[in-house]
Amino acid sequence: MNIDELKKRLKEYNEPLSLGINTSLSAYIDTIKLLMDEFTSGKNIHLIYISATIPSRSISSILEIYGIDEKKVFYVDCISHLMMNVAESKENTVYVESPTMLENIMLKTQYILNKNVKDVAVVVVDSINSLAIHNDMKILSEFLHLFVTFLRSRNSYMVILSIKEQATQEIMSIINFVSDETLEVD
Amino acid sequence: MDNVRERVPTGIEALDNILNGGVPKGNTVLITGSAGTGKTTLSIEFLVHGAMAGEKGLYISVTEASEKLLENLINYDFFSKEMIQKGIIFIDIPEIYEKLGMNKLQFTLDDINILIQNIVKIVKEFNVKRVVIDSITSICYRLQTEEKIMEFILRLSKALSELGCTTFLVSELLPSAKGYSQYGVEEAVSDGIILLGNLERKGDLLRTLRVVKMRGTSHSRATYVLDITSIGILLVPLLKGGGEMYL
Repeated sequence: MNIDELKKRLKEYNEPLSLGINTSLSAYIDTIKLLMDEFTSGKNIHLIYISATIPSRSISSILEIYGIDEKKVFYVDCISHLMMNVAESKENTVYVESPTMLENIMLKTQYILNKNVKDVAVVVVDSINSLAIHNDMKILSEFLHLFVTFLRSRNSYMVILSIKEQATQEIMSIINFVSDETLEVD
Repeated sequence: MDNVRERVPTGIEALDNILNGGVPKGNTVLITGSAGTGKTTLSIEFLVHGAMAGEKGLYISVTEASEKLLENLINYDFFSKEMIQKGIIFIDIPEIYEKLGMNKLQFTLDDINILIQNIVKIVKEFNVKRVVIDSITSICYRLQTEEKIMEFILRLSKALSELGCTTFLVSELLPSAKGYSQYGVEEAVSDGIILLGNLERKGDLLRTLRVVKMRGTSHSRATYVLDITSIGILLVPLLKGGGEMYL
């Protein structure tokens, strides 16, 4: 499907679910922009963005360019520390030392949920491909299974992003296992 | 069976879930682990949540002046200086030693009795319901023999339990230690053991928590990863897929 079809599909979801989005590299930024815009604007939903591919600061800059309001967006940044790139911390960002500290990703998400989110949240994992570089598949699938289950218990969604050009069969199997639905975006 | 004993919630949501509602009232629990694992933070949070629920807390500091401890303590969102003044009594044990003329390296059985009587007196006077002794290891150092350590912990536990107090004894462990306490006796006479640790996995250092034993309740014995945050201690299950090493 293309971005417009994805937008239409996202509007149809009413219940918390776990969603896999396998997007082509060319549609990657548009997909992020759409997720941010679709889930946060005019809705009582918070978005927790787990950045393992691009530092949160860069994602934030992209959103700023497109004029997307970040008021209801929080970041769990797993990559900036690793690159020793945490000069100043932002109020809506918590850092995890390394993308290998998967439990800490859950803990920081839990922290944001408990502290800031009273209603529903959407947690976007960007991306499973980057997490797969730093972790073996066994622990990664265990993490995603636990994480999805935890979020469901909090009445929240999970969106797992995958880059089509980097997705292996093993990655797609994990996404299909933990997601209620997997969407292909070009 | 879990409903038989009244529970004292620690206020740490995940830990209370692990314990099926909290620590059984009157239990003496060893909070044990090596340096930097979060023993003092967990114990203080137990007192803070008690104070918020209207239960007076007593923190007996053995190794560090409580004033310094409070300065270094994490700034909880739910924590205020007024709450400390109103709900928690901080006592530095060197002041008690001084007052009782116990400034000596080795305690006798009589000294043990005097020390327990004084702690009990404070508990009665202020109607304390939650006690933390940080650390029991430093007191044990002055007791020196296993018999005296056992006598001290058993008598203190019994006296505090009879007063409806739930007690946390903070125990220092060396990273290389095999058991759950430095002298081996503390773990045997306590009603519960909560083990905090540092776990290294591929160069990452994770804080962990495991409830090893808790009399009066069924509980999980799984290992959890711990995070100290401004909203209190948070826990998630340790992922089992990694090759890790305890420090």
